[in-house]
Amino acid sequence: MLRLTVVSALRRLLQAGLVVIGATFLLSLLLRLLPVGLEDLYVVGENEASRKAFAHELRLDRDPFTYYVLWLWDFVRGDLGWYVQGGGLSEPVSGRLSRALPVSLQLVFYAQAVSLVVAVPLGIFTALRAGRRSDRALSYGLFTASSIPNFVFGLLMASFFGVTLAWFPPLGYVAPTENLGEHIRSMVLPVAALSFPLIATYTRLLRTDVIATLREDYVTMAVSKGLSTRRILFSHVLRPSSVTLFTSFALNMGALIGGTIVIEQVFTIPGIGQEIGIAIFSRQFFALQSYVALIAVGFIVFNMLADIVVGFVDPRTRERRSA
Amino acid sequence: MRRLLGGMDVFTRACAGWMSLMVLLAVVGPFLPLPDPREADFEASAVGLFSPGHVLGTDSNGYDLLSNVVNGARTSLMIAFVSVVVGGALGAAIGIVSAYRRGRIDRVVNLLFNIVLSIPNLVLGLALVAILATSSDPSVVISPSRRVVVIMIALTCVVLPVLGRIARGATLTWINREFVVAARSMGMRDRHIILRHIVPNVLPAIYSVGFLAVGVVIVAEGALSLLGVGVVDGVSWGAMISRVAGEFTFVPHSMYVPVTVLALTVIASNQLGDYLRSRLDLREGRL
Repeated sequence: MLRLTVVSALRRLLQAGLVVIGATFLLSLLLRLLPVGLEDLYVVGENEASRKAFAHELRLDRDPFTYYVLWLWDFVRGDLGWYVQGGGLSEPVSGRLSRALPVSLQLVFYAQAVSLVVAVPLGIFTALRAGRRSDRALSYGLFTASSIPNFVFGLLMASFFGVTLAWFPPLGYVAPTENLGEHIRSMVLPVAALSFPLIATYTRLLRTDVIATLREDYVTMAVSKGLSTRRILFSHVLRPSSVTLFTSFALNMGALIGGTIVIEQVFTIPGIGQEIGIAIFSRQFFALQSYVALIAVGFIVFNMLADIVVGFVDPRTRERRSA
Repeated sequence: MRRLLGGMDVFTRACAGWMSLMVLLAVVGPFLPLPDPREADFEASAVGLFSPGHVLGTDSNGYDLLSNVVNGARTSLMIAFVSVVVGGALGAAIGIVSAYRRGRIDRVVNLLFNIVLSIPNLVLGLALVAILATSSDPSVVISPSRRVVVIMIALTCVVLPVLGRIARGATLTWINREFVVAARSMGMRDRHIILRHIVPNVLPAIYSVGFLAVGVVIVAEGALSLLGVGVVDGVSWGAMISRVAGEFTFVPHSMYVPVTVLALTVIASNQLGDYLRSRLDLREGRL
């Protein structure tokens, strides 16, 4: 059984590798298909020879395929390309990235942690009350909340809690090393904005699964044996019910990196999102390529991890897949 | 149609009503007696709700909010409609044919879908818009109508693999059903089998996910605007939000209005998609 899981995990790994290569190649191709042409954008200056040399340095004289292979080799080694300005290289992308990435990851991490802490008890609680009159209203409420885009929450909260009540700063970011209290205060609104739709989604998923698990024979058996509700919930119900939640959790890691882009823009937080915004405005397409590639790789890795880990957590999916 | 309406509860009906209202406004918007959405009323800038001449008030530039909401519905819903219909049609065609053919084509198509889906949809849209809407001279401003077209193309690319994968999956479940096998063994042409037996069964799944995709596209349009690559100078919900995003401190209601309309529309289209899906599951269950 376990060997089967390992084999399917390896196969999943191979597939993920293929998708990473496909996605990054697609991006690289898009860049070369730019209607303007990167040469017209970056290779400027009077001197013909120096222009040619610079085009060569940017590898714009190579065909798209060679260009991609060289790019990938650099990318794997951690060289994410350069910002280009006035016919010369100005700043390595990795430098700005190393400042922006931790900020974005912080946001993602906080949002996931807050969402789980709120959603798990809420999901169990609502599942236990399933079928009551209040249940219908609640599930509509959750559905509605999961549909509202996070930037809407962000703007509304920035306006209400940030400006009207002035409980929290409506924008800006303070590093935790600088001032921990202010850091937490500055993160409350963006994290809340990112978490709201997530909490609603997680609660709905867990609720559905817990309701389904409660109908299983072994739960009836546990009840008839006289086990306490708490014991049944925590040792018999929670683990089999958490598979969908777990998958969604991992899938949302990647989606959240996308979501933070907008939230960072709303709250002016110096993370990847703002770097991408700056890259677009200042036409730094090499940087843009690296940022998007990085996000795609993160997304793919988390999807793959979710698939593999679910196989280990829930043996039932393992059997189903090998069948 | 009556059966579809009959099963709706109050919430779903309200959503259907809101969606119909928005579509109606998008169609008749320009004929309504409203101020020009792009004309600033300097005498009444930043006035509140229910002001004379401006029912929903104006923003700090003096743009009439009601007029912008109504005319913005036209742009935002058109972007959503075009990208979902085009992306859905292309995606469904590719998905159905590849699932029907199986084999190598199917594996390649599936890999391509996975590749495009591996980039979060907002990031993909952002990258595509940034790449497609670039002029060589930074001082040349790209016109709003060209931006709308670029956004439509980008979001079509986002929607295509989502619906394509749904169509592919649905086709795979129908392809071994008795009536398809029977049709094939009777020597029916592939094209006829696909059109007569597969497409009608796959379409309902596409419709329900299509509604969800409308929500995704409307959100994406708003998000792209916030990032500065939306319909920047045009009339759309995203443009309204991006205009006030930096200054809602002074005129909060000019932010509340577009944000509320956008959120309600997304909720409505998601609920309609979900309702359609539950109806379909029910029908499947009864068989």
